[in-house]
Amino acid sequence: MNRPIADASPVLSAREVSLGFGYTPVLAGVDLTLYPREFIAVVGASGVGKSTLLRALTGLLPPQSGEVVIPAGNAEDTRAWSMVFQAPRLFPWRRVRANVELGLEGLALSRAERRQRALEPLALVGLDAYADRWPHTLSGGQQQRVGIARALAVRPRVLFMDEPFSALDAITRRRLQQELIALRRRTEAAIVFVTHDIEEAVLLADRVMVLGDQAPGQPARVVDTLEVDLPLDERRDHPDFAPLVQGVEARIGDH
Amino acid sequence: MTSPLTRSRRTLLSAAGLSGFLLLWELALRSGLLPGSLVPLPSAIPRVFWYELIDGIWLEVVRSSLGHYSVGLLLGSSLGIAVGVSAALMPRFNALHAWLARLLRPIPPLAWIPFAIIWFGINPAAAAFIISIGVFWINYFASYSAVRSVDPDFDEVALAFGQRSFLARLTKVSLPAAAPGILGGLRAGLGQGWMTVVAAELFGIPGIGQRMMEASSLLATDIVVVYMLTIAGLYALFDFLFMLVQHRVLRWQP
Repeated sequence: MNRPIADASPVLSAREVSLGFGYTPVLAGVDLTLYPREFIAVVGASGVGKSTLLRALTGLLPPQSGEVVIPAGNAEDTRAWSMVFQAPRLFPWRRVRANVELGLEGLALSRAERRQRALEPLALVGLDAYADRWPHTLSGGQQQRVGIARALAVRPRVLFMDEPFSALDAITRRRLQQELIALRRRTEAAIVFVTHDIEEAVLLADRVMVLGDQAPGQPARVVDTLEVDLPLDERRDHPDFAPLVQGVEARIGDH
Repeated sequence: MTSPLTRSRRTLLSAAGLSGFLLLWELALRSGLLPGSLVPLPSAIPRVFWYELIDGIWLEVVRSSLGHYSVGLLLGSSLGIAVGVSAALMPRFNALHAWLARLLRPIPPLAWIPFAIIWFGINPAAAAFIISIGVFWINYFASYSAVRSVDPDFDEVALAFGQRSFLARLTKVSLPAAAPGILGGLRAGLGQGWMTVVAAELFGIPGIGQRMMEASSLLATDIVVVYMLTIAGLYALFDFLFMLVQHRVLRWQP
C-alpha cells in the first residue's frame, strides 16, 4: 500500500473551493488535502463538475472563492504539478521526445539534461524507442502513454489525470491501468484521478471522493470520501472489491 | 460512371490536349482561318524567344520584374502575417483596426496606382508597393483565420506545462499550429503578387509588362506570347519551389 508518509507536509491543500460559470454555481466548498504518494480518485455523474474541479485545483480555472496551495518545492528543475488529459493532446508538430520536453522548457536544465529527462519517463512507459517518431504514427494508447511521460518528466508533486483512459478501447485501458499501478511505486507524486468509471476508481485509488449535487441547478459538493483499504495487486479478485464498488455506486445514486 | 485514370494515361491525355490545341492554332493560321496580324504562329515562338534571350532583353526585363516582385512579396507577406497573427491574438488590437481593415480590404491593388505614382514616381518602388498591397491582404486573412482556429486545448496544454508567457505560447503553440494556414496564405500571395507585377508594369515601370506593351504597340504578337509564357513558366517554378519548402516545414502532418 502507498500510505502517506506520516511526517511529510501536504503537497496539496484545498479549502472551501467554489467555482461557477457566470451566475451558475458548479462547485461549492470542496476541501482536499493530499500527501506525497497518495492517490485519490474523483467520481460522480457526468456533468457534475469533476473536470472543473481539477481545473480549479490547478488554477487553470481560478476558483471564485476558497484557496488551493500546491507548494512549489525548492528544486528549479521540477514543476509543482502536471496533467494528463482525456485526449493525448500531443503537439502534432513536435516529435515524441520534444512533446515530452514541453514542460521542461524554461526550467533550469541544459539541452542535454532536458533530452535525458525526457527519455527517462519515455522508457518508463515503454516508448523510448519511439522518441524520434511523429505523434500521428503512434496508436491511441501509445499517444496517451506519451501524454503520461510528458506529465512525469517535470517530476510533479501532484499529478492530475482527467479521465485519462476513458477514450481508449477496453484492452488498452486495462493494460494502462496495470501500468499506472506499477508506476505508482516509482513516483513520489500524489495523484488526483478523475473518472466516471467506478471500478477503475476503486481499482487504482487509496481514497474515492464522490461528487454529487443535491438538486438540479445546485452546485456539486463532496458527498462522501471512501477509503479503499485493499492491497494494490489483484484488487479485482479481492472479495471486498465488488462491495466497495457497490458502495460508491450507491453514494452516487443517492444524488 | 467512368473508371479512374491511371497516372500515365492522364499524363498522356493532358499532353495530347495541349499539343492538339497548339496544332489547331497553327493550322487555323496557316489555312487563313485566323488572320496572322492577330495571333502569332506557335511554331515561331521558340525562335523569337531565342532572339530575346541573345539580345539580353529577356534576362533584363525578367530580372527587373523579379526585383520589385521579391521586394513587394517580402514586404506584403511579412507585414500581412505580423498584423494577421497579432489581430488573432490581441482582441483589443483586432477591434481597433477591424473597421479600417473592412474599409481598405475591398480596394484592389491596382486602384493604388495613382497614389503609388504620386508617392514614388514611375519606378520599381511604386511597383513593389502595389504588389505588396495584394499580398498583404491575402496573408493577413490567411494567418488571422489560421491562428483563430487553433484548438484551444493546445493552449491549455501549454499553460498546464508552465508555458505561460505570451512569447512562449506564440512560438510553441500559435505559430506552429497555424503554420499550415499561414503557409497556404504565403503560397496564394506568391501567385497574386506575380499577377500584379505585370499589371503594375503596364503603366511604364520597367519589366515584363512594359516589354509586352512595347511589343504590342509594334503588333509584335510573337514577343507578347513569349512573355506570357515566361510569366506562366516562372510562376510554375516559384510555386514548385515553395511547395518543396512547404512540404518540408509541414512534414509532421499525416
